[in-house]
Amino acid sequence: MYSMSIFYDAIAIALRSLAISGLATLLASTWCVPIAVKLSGTRSRVGKAILGILNASIGLPTVIVGLVLYLFLSRAGPLGFLRLLYTPYAIVIGQSILVTPLLTFLMADSLSHLKDTILELAYSLGATRRQAILTLLRESLPHIISSMLVSFNRAVGELGVALMLGGNIRGLTRVMTTAIALEVEKGEFELALTLGGFLLLTTSFITLLIRALRWRK
Amino acid sequence: MIKLINVSFSYGEKNVLEDINLVFDKGVTVVLGPNGSGKTTLLKVAAGLYKPSRGKVLIGGVNIWDSPPETTIPIRRKIVYVHEKPILLRGTVLYNVSYGLKLRGSDTESSRRKAMEILRRFGIEDLAYRNSRELSTGQAQLVSIARALAVSPQYLLLDEPTSNLDKNRRAILEETIRNLSDTIVVVATHDRLFAEKFPRKIVRLENGKIVDRA
Ligand SMILES: Nc1ncnc2c1ncn2[C@@H]1O[C@H](COP(=O)(O)OP(=O)(O)OP(=O)(O)O)[C@@H](O)[C@H]1O
Ligand SMILES: [Mg+2]
Repeated sequence: MYSMSIFYDAIAIALRSLAISGLATLLASTWCVPIAVKLSGTRSRVGKAILGILNASIGLPTVIVGLVLYLFLSRAGPLGFLRLLYTPYAIVIGQSILVTPLLTFLMADSLSHLKDTILELAYSLGATRRQAILTLLRESLPHIISSMLVSFNRAVGELGVALMLGGNIRGLTRVMTTAIALEVEKGEFELALTLGGFLLLTTSFITLLIRALRWRK
Repeated sequence: MIKLINVSFSYGEKNVLEDINLVFDKGVTVVLGPNGSGKTTLLKVAAGLYKPSRGKVLIGGVNIWDSPPETTIPIRRKIVYVHEKPILLRGTVLYNVSYGLKLRGSDTESSRRKAMEILRRFGIEDLAYRNSRELSTGQAQLVSIARALAVSPQYLLLDEPTSNLDKNRRAILEETIRNLSDTIVVVATHDRLFAEKFPRKIVRLENGKIVDRA
């Protein structure tokens, strides 16, 4: 018998997932946006090399990111004193690092088409450096948002970081992917399937949003 | 006044301007020359958008590539260059025409009023709330010229301003330029008929060199 309590559990877990991955994407944007502005359309060798490295790390296995961060955040690790391991914050930080290459690369790529034209236009009308960059960001807003949505999708669907840094603690760090893994292992498929449905809904909805944005601009 | 002293410019290896000495002064200067002769590049260098590879650009006596931003920003704000291919920002026509005023710290209300006034002068006030992406090329060109005029620049550099305009709009632009008595206007154009409408100085470019002045 499918009970409503499973449904409510699933809702709570899904909301936590959305919050954690949403925060992770926003956090990552605080450094990815400036880096992307700097690197997009770069002609310098160092800049191109960094872009190459970012591009190559887009597919970084999530367990690797999880493992490295685990070593940093664990009791004995250099950041152990922060006591972040097995808290939602650890997942937020971990996912924000996980999506950094993807987010930066996507934004840098889409900014590069507009950068020269828009900066030149802004300067031709008397903008300061700051104003010109704000104008560029405003013009690229649909691209920036769609890059963020793609990154959010990657974060919300990943398992490695959430499991290793969050620990799948009920009511605290249990997110959709970790809960699905646990429930399947226990042989209990109801919650797993419900969450699977939610996860699929989330990512499909985001994908639709991205397409709508592409279509609009 | 804009003064170019021994100015050269190259895109990578390609020399596009060679040893240009030129003064743009009160009134209208027309820059003529065949395709690819360097008119656009010359205007962008004179506007302080492109840094010359050699030589100096003095605007109102200030070397703009050799002075701190505190000095150059107020000077740059007196110069407006209008691209030959109009570049409009996302949003309405009104937003675009107010853009330069907002950069200069005008509040929304007064910049809108000013922008509307200019749109009216060009007879395109009905476009004010249209999306800039939905304009014809000629309309976009008018809007980008209106945007430049909105900030009442002391130096106005127009690159092929008439290439997409109909006869009426050309006449309005002509009239507008004629009335800018205190402005230093530079027009790069192929449009001889348009050029002949002004008491003017002519600079003729060929292969990045000045071959004639009148
Ligand atoms: N971004 C660029 N990179 C490399 N070469 C360029 C670039 N822009 C222009 N050039 C070259 O510089 C030369 C001068 O170009 P410019 O645009 O100044 O000519 P123009 O006189 O304005 O031509 P038109 O009448 O077609 O507008 C041309 O030979 C052109 O091929
Ligand atoms: Mg040109």
